[in-house]
Amino acid sequence: MSHHTINLTVNGMPQTVTVEGNQTLLEVLRETIDQTDVKYGCGTGECGACTVLVEDNKPINACLTLAATMDGRSITTVAGLANGTELHPVQQAFVDDFAIQCGYCTPGMVMKSVALLSENPNPSEDEIRHYLEGNICRCTGYAKIVKAVQTASDNMVQYAGGDTA
Amino acid sequence: MSEFKTVGKSEIRVDVKGKVTGRTDYAADLKMKGMLHAYLVRCFDHAHANITKLDMSEAAKEPGVVKVVGPDDVTSNVFNQSVIDAMVPPGLEEPMGDIDDQKIFADGRVKHYGEAICAIIATTEAAAEHAAKKVIVEYEPLTVYLNAEASKQPDAIQFDERKPGNLAFQLPEAMFPNNIMGHGDIDAGFAEADLIVEDTLYTNKQKQCQMEPNSYIALYDDDEKLTCWTSTQMPKCVQTKLAKIFEVPVSRMKLIQTTVGGGFGARLGMVLEPQACALAMAMPGHPIKIQSPREEDWLTSPSRHPGDWKVKLGFKKDGTPVAAQANFASYKGAYYLDGSGVAATTGGWLQAVYKWENLAYTGQTYFTNQPVCGAYRGYGNPQQTFVMESMIDRALEQLDIDPVEWRARWHKQVGDGTWFPDVPYSSVAIDACLEQGIEAFGWKEKRAKYKNQTGTIRRGVGVGLTTHTSGAFPMLLEHTVCSIKLNEDASANLTFACSDLGQGAHTALRQIAAEALDFPVDDISLNTQDGDITGFDIGAHASRTLYVGGGAVMEAVNDAKRQIFERAAKLLEANADDLELKDKQVFVKGSPSKSVSLKDMLYKSVYNYDVDMETGGSFADGQIEGYASYNPPHCSPPWAATFIEVEIDMETGEYKLIEMVNTHDIGRAINPAIVEGQMEGGAQQGLGMALTEELYFNDEGKVLNNGFTDYKMLGPSDMPKMTNIIVEEPDPFGPFGAKSVGETGLCTPVGAVSNAIYHATGVSVTDLPITPEKILKAIEEKAAA
Repeated sequence: MSHHTINLTVNGMPQTVTVEGNQTLLEVLRETIDQTDVKYGCGTGECGACTVLVEDNKPINACLTLAATMDGRSITTVAGLANGTELHPVQQAFVDDFAIQCGYCTPGMVMKSVALLSENPNPSEDEIRHYLEGNICRCTGYAKIVKAVQTASDNMVQYAGGDTA
Repeated sequence: MSEFKTVGKSEIRVDVKGKVTGRTDYAADLKMKGMLHAYLVRCFDHAHANITKLDMSEAAKEPGVVKVVGPDDVTSNVFNQSVIDAMVPPGLEEPMGDIDDQKIFADGRVKHYGEAICAIIATTEAAAEHAAKKVIVEYEPLTVYLNAEASKQPDAIQFDERKPGNLAFQLPEAMFPNNIMGHGDIDAGFAEADLIVEDTLYTNKQKQCQMEPNSYIALYDDDEKLTCWTSTQMPKCVQTKLAKIFEVPVSRMKLIQTTVGGGFGARLGMVLEPQACALAMAMPGHPIKIQSPREEDWLTSPSRHPGDWKVKLGFKKDGTPVAAQANFASYKGAYYLDGSGVAATTGGWLQAVYKWENLAYTGQTYFTNQPVCGAYRGYGNPQQTFVMESMIDRALEQLDIDPVEWRARWHKQVGDGTWFPDVPYSSVAIDACLEQGIEAFGWKEKRAKYKNQTGTIRRGVGVGLTTHTSGAFPMLLEHTVCSIKLNEDASANLTFACSDLGQGAHTALRQIAAEALDFPVDDISLNTQDGDITGFDIGAHASRTLYVGGGAVMEAVNDAKRQIFERAAKLLEANADDLELKDKQVFVKGSPSKSVSLKDMLYKSVYNYDVDMETGGSFADGQIEGYASYNPPHCSPPWAATFIEVEIDMETGEYKLIEMVNTHDIGRAINPAIVEGQMEGGAQQGLGMALTEELYFNDEGKVLNNGFTDYKMLGPSDMPKMTNIIVEEPDPFGPFGAKSVGETGLCTPVGAVSNAIYHATGVSVTDLPITPEKILKAIEEKAAA
């Protein structure tokens, strides 16, 4: 098996890790650097529980990404969103709007929502629902998740002072 | 203005900060010193075969392998991975006929696809999985039985000698003469009927698909204590079962409940806890972790019971329901589990809803070469809701009676028998549900508007109605222990083993304690996970946690208050019965100036430095701890009705879910947002059961769709617009009048959506799930007829 030494920045922290050629980003995040906030849900890219953001808020399934291809990249996981004890507006909306039940899909669902609002700060309900396809929740029927994304969108637009075109 | 301070408020959940920051650990996230990883070697070649050879020697030589463990290396004790049998009263054990028929690994014969054969313990998960490929297993294939009809044939291979004819269970003669549950004279009932509708139907093998895959850790330590970290719904019953299997006292069988990433019945009992513990005992001193791959969840944890239905209903011209006859022959899967449970309770749900003058239900379950079946949210109720609600609407169409009017006229009332007929309904507010639902949904207008459509795109509306239960009283043990410790600063610690599967029970139970003590919710914290500390609790099943757990919390708080009042009575020179507690002050009722500070009292109860110089005894009264060992007095059934509008393409059979109004009669919403979450989440699972979800097999019994791409659940863009209506008419028995909400939310959408499709198309699909292909086939058959 080929080994690769790669440099990652995970939630702002530099990490140098040696990975095997067939190791996924999910395995490396969870097992090598203890980033267990990234969840294993299916391992086959079907559920979205392992969604993390690369560089400019591009969402990827960590379970489908070979770690060796991530050399030099910056990765944000749900644990890197909050500013100290102050939750990110998307996290705060998930809490306030009861978008969390068992919580297992939450890390991936939050990251996917952050990616959506980064691409499209003011999405319609339909756009939210379609964007979140690929992230499975079995508890909520999605109603309160969609509502939380709408709340976060409102709060983030407000926070930005409405001057971001 | 509410009479309550916290009850009725959508308080933020106790567990969400850790979940939203990713800091909450689930079992899969735990790492321990010296931990080793186990991989279970499973049979993916056959669904039914004798094992003729098992050779683990090559696997043992692979890098990273610490030990290979086969059937001879673990306990040979037999068990039953369900825990329902542990709750059945002793007198019922014999007629119910529950059996233990499972071992840690397949006992010389594989009975379903994916059954565990042996295990590899290695330093890493990858090494264990890699070595598993070197295990040599040879098989002698046997005939595969994939439904009740095949497995009941006289020449079929027997699954268990104690269950001849592969009949795992039928309603026992000793309790149900002629194996029939019901009342009246069914033949006389049909003789009276002006209209009889009858058909055969099929209900599907739906999987819970909780998002957390199955992950367990077990450790057998130097003190011969066996510890298991598990996200089971039923920690105490599982502890009892594991102690029995591994022959250790309960005091040395520690169970730590990890955060539960969903359950819905899949974790009602054990999944891989016996395997984890067996491997820990084979490798003492090392925590052994099993991380079961997602795709194995469909093969190892129990699903809903699928099966074949025969239904015959009789009505008078005016709609009077004179006779209902139903037979449910369910497919048990390879092992018994709670074989008596679903087959029996399905009849209970069936007789609970409407005032049938005569009713006869029969139910059997037959072994099949399929992954096991057990509990799934609803426990037989979604199946009966589909068959009964759809057959009723077919009759009402012929009788030209409005489906909502008929349901409002014929549902049971307070005083009528519940699913357990000897227990009468304590509260029924389904009329208010129907009235408010009709209004919010626009039922009458839509029903009329969609009456005579001829185009390609058609719409339809349907209603589904059911009732359920709050706990399994009086059929099963419903015991919960709870304690509340009052601290010296007038804060409190509440201890119970009631699981929160994600539904929010812990938050609501804390609100009940806070309301009963008149404390701010933040002054109460919870201990729930450490099995050495928490007292007995049956577990989270049968929509019981808020209702029974809440009753236990109330009783523990009342016990604490009794102690507070006894002490305050002395200080205030008053009668304890005349005292009340408000804002942490103990008052004499009607004389608010006569009071004592609870905080002072509690502080001095422990921090009292005065000692009796002669005896050395303390003057401290001691810390107050309220305790309850609680059994509920009732099962206060909730009711629900769901209205759905669908749109169908008559040329393709494809559908869209337009709108849904969900109404629930739940007595009281302790936390309304959490209640809504149960209704909305239940709807996603109910609609999935009706429309998309089914586990498929090929002729050899191999599972074809154990992955999220091919096992299709409704996604965010598939869901209809949903409106929730919570009807609150307090129940006399529930805590603050609350009934349950966990399961009803799944049941009624199944009936409502099938009726809406029938309304739109005029055709009835009789086997679930109702796919576009089946709708189109039914439309074409009707056109050809």
